[in-house]
Amino acid sequence: MMPRSDGRLSLQFVYDADAARTRLWVLEQRQPLKVVRGFDLDGGAALVHLHNLSGGVLAGDKLSLDVAVDAGARAQITSTSATRAYRSPAEAGPSEFVTQIQVSENALLEYLPDPLIPFAGARYSQRTHVSLSNGAGLFWWETLTPGREARGEVFSYDLLHLSFELRAAGIPIATEHNHLDPALRPLTSLVRLGPFRYLSSFYICSAGAPESTWDRLERQLLTLARSETSPVIIWGLTRLPAHGLVVRALSQNGRDIARGLIAFWRAAKQALYGQDAVIPRKIY
Amino acid sequence: MTNNQTNEPIDSLRLLKLIHLADSALPIGSAAHSFGLETLVAEELLTAGALPAFLRDYLQETGVLEAAFCRAAHRTAGADWAAVNQLLSARKPARESREASLTLGRRFLKLFSVLEGVEILPGDAHYATAFGYAARHLAIAEDLTAAVYLQQTVTALVSACQRLMPIGQQRAARMLWDLKPAILEAAQTSAASGVDSIAAFSPLVEIASMRHVALETRLFIS
Repeated sequence: MMPRSDGRLSLQFVYDADAARTRLWVLEQRQPLKVVRGFDLDGGAALVHLHNLSGGVLAGDKLSLDVAVDAGARAQITSTSATRAYRSPAEAGPSEFVTQIQVSENALLEYLPDPLIPFAGARYSQRTHVSLSNGAGLFWWETLTPGREARGEVFSYDLLHLSFELRAAGIPIATEHNHLDPALRPLTSLVRLGPFRYLSSFYICSAGAPESTWDRLERQLLTLARSETSPVIIWGLTRLPAHGLVVRALSQNGRDIARGLIAFWRAAKQALYGQDAVIPRKIY
Repeated sequence: MTNNQTNEPIDSLRLLKLIHLADSALPIGSAAHSFGLETLVAEELLTAGALPAFLRDYLQETGVLEAAFCRAAHRTAGADWAAVNQLLSARKPARESREASLTLGRRFLKLFSVLEGVEILPGDAHYATAFGYAARHLAIAEDLTAAVYLQQTVTALVSACQRLMPIGQQRAARMLWDLKPAILEAAQTSAASGVDSIAAFSPLVEIASMRHVALETRLFIS
């Protein structure tokens, strides 16, 4: 069966030393994936909003996104709205979204998308590979929701396969292969989500930064994690094997997760780059 | 008794050595770790009544993941050692649990080297990979190795839980006895995928391990 859509987006961010800013090159753009333009941010970064003109990932879609952030460039990528994974009949196979990211020397990528909302009956596979060169920085968050809660859809999807592989200087530092099959493996298990419904991961990396940097940042963010934790949301953070740390949250609602992620992002960006985190306007 | 892969008999000496290596009394320090369970108990999420179901789900996720790496180390007999252990480190986001696994693995290999007189592999070693490597050296079949590794894993977790909750000896023994089909199922599932793609989803346990450092009173290192 031919894919319903083979949308593809290939972006390159290049640092223009003369203009002291990052320029966006759209190398390939095939619907339904689309970007309009890059917006200049303070500090020489470029902000890009990813659009999916279909309004979500449809059954049978095979979508791909390639991003190269060249040496010295700074890119902030967000989405125009939540990623909706629509119902997929079994015969269509899972819809797919494959993302490849390369962040080069002394470049920075801030990848701050809206949450993933898997609809009832969705069968969705997402595979992401991120590679960091020496000196490259990364702020990367992702949030998984239980579905369309307002319609009573909680863990009503058929299947999610969410893979994430993060390498720094050629070494794997974080790998996830999450296979969620709520009918066969209840997500309310105390091994999986327990009493919570939302899951977020926030990777904070700077390849080659000294251990003392991570010691200080870990202490600072641990304090934040304690203050952000409440009966409806728990935050944890930990050092990766090298080059960074990861913040995780489990929550009973999406609102507290979004607010907390911004707090961690602000603290980490100030600590690592001495800059205020510039929140994409549409978050408000 | 026969080797379940080759139908060759397992001689009694090798079987006794395998039982010895999987014994919770092996002096490598495994009794000092709860791998995040102490946090789940302290935060009143995990109770004695919920423990059997928790352990079955744990075997489905973390158990399958670790058994896959145990199998990989067994299959490769130490080839690609650094890469396999790096990959397992990347699968363990919580530092306390990752370092616990590395500490136990290194101690296990050192002890095995002394006991069996074999060369020790350099670099990082997780407990699962060290166990797989040792069992391969003893010519124990891969399937049996994975199952025995998981048996000692849940034995250690139940033992930790006995110190955290009101679980008597007989109840603990019953729990472990009843888990044996789940152990075999997890061992079998772990053969289906390679270590590059084996799936596991255990965020609550991982976050519990991340939060362990912040507990006011701790019985366990992890």
